[in-house]
Amino acid sequence: MIHGFVAAHGYDPGPSQRPLLSGAISGILATIPAIGVLVLFGSLKVEADILGMSPGLTLAAGCAAMAIAGAAYARFFGRAANAVRGGWLFGMSFGFGLWAAGAVLVLPLLSGGRAPAGGAAVGVAMSLIVWGVGTGILVPFVHRPLHESLETASKRAAVGPDAAAAKKAPIREQRQKTRN
Amino acid sequence: MIRVVALKKAVLAGLCGAAAMEIFSVATRRAGLATVDLITELSSVDFNRLSVLADAAAVFAHLGIGVAWAVFYAFFFWGRFHLRPAVQGLVFALLPATLAIFVVYPELALMRSHAHTITLSLHGFFAPLSPTAVGSLIVSHALFGLTIGAIYRRPVGYAADRKPSPPVWHRVRSQGAHRRETGAGFMFATGIECSYPTVDQGRWRRDEMESTRHYELWQEDFELAREIGITHIRYGPPLHLIFDGPGRYDWSYIDPQMEALRELGPEPIVDLCHFGLPSWLGNFQNPDIGRALEEYAGAFAERFGWVRFYTPVNEMYVCARMSALDGLWNEQLHDEGAYARAAWNLADASIRMSDAILKRRPDAIFVNSESSEFYQPCCPDPEIKAIADAANERRFLPLDLIFAHPLGKRMHDLLCAQGIAKDDIARLGAREVPRRSILGVDYYEWNERLIDREGNAQALGELFGWYVIADQYWQRYRRPMMHTETNKMDADGAPRWLWRQWHNVQLLAKAGVPLVGFTWYSLTDQIDWSIAMSEPVGLVYPVGLFDLNREPRIVGLAYKHLIDLYAGQPDYRECKALKEILR
Repeated sequence: MIHGFVAAHGYDPGPSQRPLLSGAISGILATIPAIGVLVLFGSLKVEADILGMSPGLTLAAGCAAMAIAGAAYARFFGRAANAVRGGWLFGMSFGFGLWAAGAVLVLPLLSGGRAPAGGAAVGVAMSLIVWGVGTGILVPFVHRPLHESLETASKRAAVGPDAAAAKKAPIREQRQKTRN
Repeated sequence: MIRVVALKKAVLAGLCGAAAMEIFSVATRRAGLATVDLITELSSVDFNRLSVLADAAAVFAHLGIGVAWAVFYAFFFWGRFHLRPAVQGLVFALLPATLAIFVVYPELALMRSHAHTITLSLHGFFAPLSPTAVGSLIVSHALFGLTIGAIYRRPVGYAADRKPSPPVWHRVRSQGAHRRETGAGFMFATGIECSYPTVDQGRWRRDEMESTRHYELWQEDFELAREIGITHIRYGPPLHLIFDGPGRYDWSYIDPQMEALRELGPEPIVDLCHFGLPSWLGNFQNPDIGRALEEYAGAFAERFGWVRFYTPVNEMYVCARMSALDGLWNEQLHDEGAYARAAWNLADASIRMSDAILKRRPDAIFVNSESSEFYQPCCPDPEIKAIADAANERRFLPLDLIFAHPLGKRMHDLLCAQGIAKDDIARLGAREVPRRSILGVDYYEWNERLIDREGNAQALGELFGWYVIADQYWQRYRRPMMHTETNKMDADGAPRWLWRQWHNVQLLAKAGVPLVGFTWYSLTDQIDWSIAMSEPVGLVYPVGLFDLNREPRIVGLAYKHLIDLYAGQPDYRECKALKEILR
């Protein structure tokens, strides 16, 4: 159902686009303000403590996770992720979803029920919202220079004259069978 | 832009929705119920030492969350359910209510803790959820949903008595670039969808150029068309915004675009009347529209003397049918006589406009675009056959009038029954049609229809195909032809459709029909395409060469491939049929 709603507005990511790359780059860039929020609320130290890692390693793991999350965001939202007007909102909702699913549900499961509380919990929530807004705002601008040009993309066989035939051309299949 | 969202309306809806929730909370708490007040909850989170600031921040946060949800609703939910707007909002409210109950409210309780970490159990996490809290969260979110649903409606179009801002130049004009001379080359065309009918009994204006943001992004749109290799663009200046009254024109709505097209191309095929009229002219039942539009066409041709190609009135049959027979646009009637009257008025306008243009530009070329249609009876039942015959005769009426083709008895009698004088009909029948007239034949997958056993028309899909249907029009009018519109609502299947339409064009040309051009319509996705804009819903249909973010669709790449492959071929570099028209 969710895919239906997204597909209805987003469709595919676009034939000349590189959604995974642009999403990953945007996701990494958006971690910069998100880290600021984590530090401000003292959440980074708390998360590192819960995960049993050093703050540096926690940051590195967080950046990698956010790169994957950014790529997933751009792929999942498809064309919607390219919208300058709505990107902030889609990113924010994705960040909210990550918080609800990851920080609230998965993190306590991984850490035997330990979860951030008080100001640290506020920081975690705020950082993911900020990350989401940032990613959503950045994707439409990051993906533009990563486009394949119209010139090269239009040369692909899939959009050429063969497209007129049915996807599975029965005549060709028949020939194949005859040869065999 | 993926969805047409009226941002101001969504923001207002979100603010009002959040306010409605708060009013409910305050009222119930004053009544002594221990309901959840989200502002109190938010203000108590780690800010509780500065209560005034905390309250202000919490109010701000709650309003912001309301706005975010309302904009989310506008993007993803509005218009997806066939329910009353307020009920749509109510259904949507299930989502924020669920998240509030199972995630946000328990998490807010954690945030109030003075510890940095806490060890959670499932039971502990959901402990704050008392039945009263859950009940109040459900009711307050229901109020939120009803409020945003009631406020957020009609995201596209505007009140018919209002005008949007005129377009402006956003960037410096391209230095050194100039329009590519098209000469007598085959026309590889697209169009900017420009329909502007009224709905809601003339009170609400649909304006596709506004909805698709062409008024903002027109420079980019023209650039994209040039990048694809488009040689001609079907372009409809917004008549309802330009023509303010007899002798009064506001050219600011079209001057910049026409200047850009003149300088850089593509060459425009100017579409002077596309499914709508200025409000002061009323609707297509008005017998005076011919004279009014004659004046407008003359003024347009005077101002833009360099324009060669014109479509005086686009798809007269569709316009008359939708307005007077199907009751969807403009006069919104359901009457065969009203259809005949609208068709007559439109044809009269088209002829007068052509004559007015020819006075200013004697070598003007007219591309009279019409939707090609065909009705197939499902069975030998005489009644069903009669319905199909009537529909097949009706489709030709406007073109018969402008191309001086003898009318069938049924259509002749229908016009006479509307008070149209036999002499006037005969006058049109004896008229000399301008030599440089091209018959534009539009074709979509629903143009062939089956008259079913109940007498209703059902879309048949591509049964006979453009070749067969267009040939019917060729046999009747014997005018040079152009495929002036096609697209496909299924974006993935669009390249297949494009190439198949193209092969239809090639085959008809090979059969000896003078064909001068082909069109994928339109450059960008369109709004409310499947419901013929009859309701201002704002759904986007992926029929364009580009989406509304101006990112290419796969059919955009396919069309570029096609143009690159054929435009340089001798038969297309110089199109004999077009050369003959231009001589």
